[in-house]
Amino acid sequence: MSARGSLDFADLQGNILRGYGKQYVRHLVLTVANPAAARRWLADASSGDESATPQITTAEPWTERRRTCVNIGITHPGLAALGVSPSSLNSFPHEFVAGMAARNVLLGDTGPSDPSKWKEEWRGEGPHLMISVYADDAADREATAARILAARGAFQLRAALEGEGFAGGLVHFGYRDSISQPQFYGVHDPDDRRDDQPFVEVGAMLLGHATPIENLRWEVPQPNVLGHNGSFNAFRVLEQQVAGFEEFLTACADALMNNPLSETLLPPGAEAGWDPPMDRRAALREMVAAKMLGRWRNGVPLALSPTSPSPQPRIDDAGLNNYGYAHDPDGQRCPIGSHMRRSNPRDAKTVQRNTNHARRLVRRGIPYGPHYDPANPVKAERGLLGSFMCASLTGQFEAIQYDWTNLGLQDPRITGSNDPILGNNDPLFSRFSFPVGDNAITFRGFSHFIHTRGGAYLFQPSMSAIRHLASLSGGKTARTR
Amino acid sequence: MVKFSNKIWTALRHLFERVLIAFWRRAAPVKTPPPTYSTALADNLQMHMNLVMPLADQTPVGRAQAAQAIAANIDELFSGLSNVGTVHFARFDLIGGNLCMYSVFDGDFRAYIRDFICVFGSVFDSLLGLVADPPPSPSALHPEAFIDWIHRHDSFQIPRDLTALFPEEKNLKNLSRDLVLLLDANPNVQLGRFSGYPGVSVAQIRHGAGLGW
Repeated sequence: MSARGSLDFADLQGNILRGYGKQYVRHLVLTVANPAAARRWLADASSGDESATPQITTAEPWTERRRTCVNIGITHPGLAALGVSPSSLNSFPHEFVAGMAARNVLLGDTGPSDPSKWKEEWRGEGPHLMISVYADDAADREATAARILAARGAFQLRAALEGEGFAGGLVHFGYRDSISQPQFYGVHDPDDRRDDQPFVEVGAMLLGHATPIENLRWEVPQPNVLGHNGSFNAFRVLEQQVAGFEEFLTACADALMNNPLSETLLPPGAEAGWDPPMDRRAALREMVAAKMLGRWRNGVPLALSPTSPSPQPRIDDAGLNNYGYAHDPDGQRCPIGSHMRRSNPRDAKTVQRNTNHARRLVRRGIPYGPHYDPANPVKAERGLLGSFMCASLTGQFEAIQYDWTNLGLQDPRITGSNDPILGNNDPLFSRFSFPVGDNAITFRGFSHFIHTRGGAYLFQPSMSAIRHLASLSGGKTARTR
Repeated sequence: MVKFSNKIWTALRHLFERVLIAFWRRAAPVKTPPPTYSTALADNLQMHMNLVMPLADQTPVGRAQAAQAIAANIDELFSGLSNVGTVHFARFDLIGGNLCMYSVFDGDFRAYIRDFICVFGSVFDSLLGLVADPPPSPSALHPEAFIDWIHRHDSFQIPRDLTALFPEEKNLKNLSRDLVLLLDANPNVQLGRFSGYPGVSVAQIRHGAGLGW
């Protein structure tokens, strides 16, 4: 456990241990065009002089809310481009060295998600770094991004990815997102706990600190000034097939209308007491959506309210995360195979007995593309710009994605089935099953609702590391694309 | 006289082979392929690890020390393997001057070894004191280096389709040469494996048999 107060918040990038809650994001996907100029930008961006260039936001507590925040992540080729020595480059974990595209089968990025089909900016060697601008309004985002790109000759812009939050914290598919995040020793107040999940050691996110796994520490890439207090970010561009998802819910509701088990699943007439009241078919659609995720679309967890999205007494925001699965061993309330329970089994029994709270991720996601209106559907690409942060990509992000999401190894009753929302499902084999009393309802033959359109493994260096990078020499000039 | 000339001929042939392999190594080096993953469930369950660890002391005395160390820690090793949760079988053998651990597990190799470090890394660290060229210790402070070390000592597993080993090889005539070089770099290999119940995890078997999981 990190003692409270022992963390140097001024040395940490600010987006790792807390979110900014900004409405607008622009991720600048860049290649280093001129190493010396890029290093000068790093020096300026970590100098404390806002007049030189927008400053990288640290984790220091704010005295007043900042209008914009800036953070950076660097790929392995990006570190090489900035002049990091070969021996130092080799001290990074092998999966970061290989890059996200090379880990595609393990991550389930095959078929339409195969890296060969990713957007141009993620192909080949991929980008060198990503500078993320978070802002309360679009004009501030625009101005800050423009100032960064004005760094003369430093970077070549491969793409600018824009995200914009929807009202109520919703994302495409209509779910409320980012409700559950780990709380850290030394960062969050133990007297202000939001739920019964154990606090997490900061070593789950930051290199060089104690981790949630007793005695285990992830190796710090060398030199220590470069690796210490750094973190990794699995950044993914996840296109969501919203129309297909909604059609699937309709098909499932139609099937349930003729299934006597639906009367046990949702007692007839119960939907009339929901807020707002719904007809039976619409309510069954919502029930399937909830079973797939583990929460109703408004964020109320099935574990607390299995038959209504609007329980009485009402569950306030603080209570939305205060539950476990130990009292629901068979998934009668929240299916074992639901996306949320797969990704974080909390206190449920798992096959890998030491992993329950050891694979926590910080998730930062924001929708991109236009909101889908079923009454007036507009064909456009839409999805989520997702950052999944951790101290070990294999130990946390990949372990969740491969062991739990894709294989379902954590519980023999779901082994062999894929995550119903995130999984790379094949209609020939896909199935999603949940118990209803002594019986079960199973849906089969659905496809994937999410396609990966790009992504990269990024290293999020500490402020000391950024200054260290700024002090290097050499490096590689970008190849012409 | 015939026997003697056969011996000379064999020795000359081996010498020639060694020279040729050394030449091939330089002229057309072959890289040992990394572990592969599959989208097929059955290919991700019942994975094999055949850990071959040369002992520092390969005399009968050194081998006896290894046997005693395993015997002294066997309960902790077995309870640790049980707690990993994804292990079908594991056994410890002494083969020649090597301490071997063979196991069948579900899922990702690196996740398996990481869980292995968490539940009985300290016991394994003490065993590795008997091994030549051990990894950095303790494993809990060097998990990635430990996993890489285990990977290097795990027998290379040759897939059913030999051509899949060398996807870059354009000339089929070179496949035999590539295989020779691969075996030159990997003295221990697994040539094939059979499962009587493919595509089933250990937890599914235990659950189905009513043994708990």
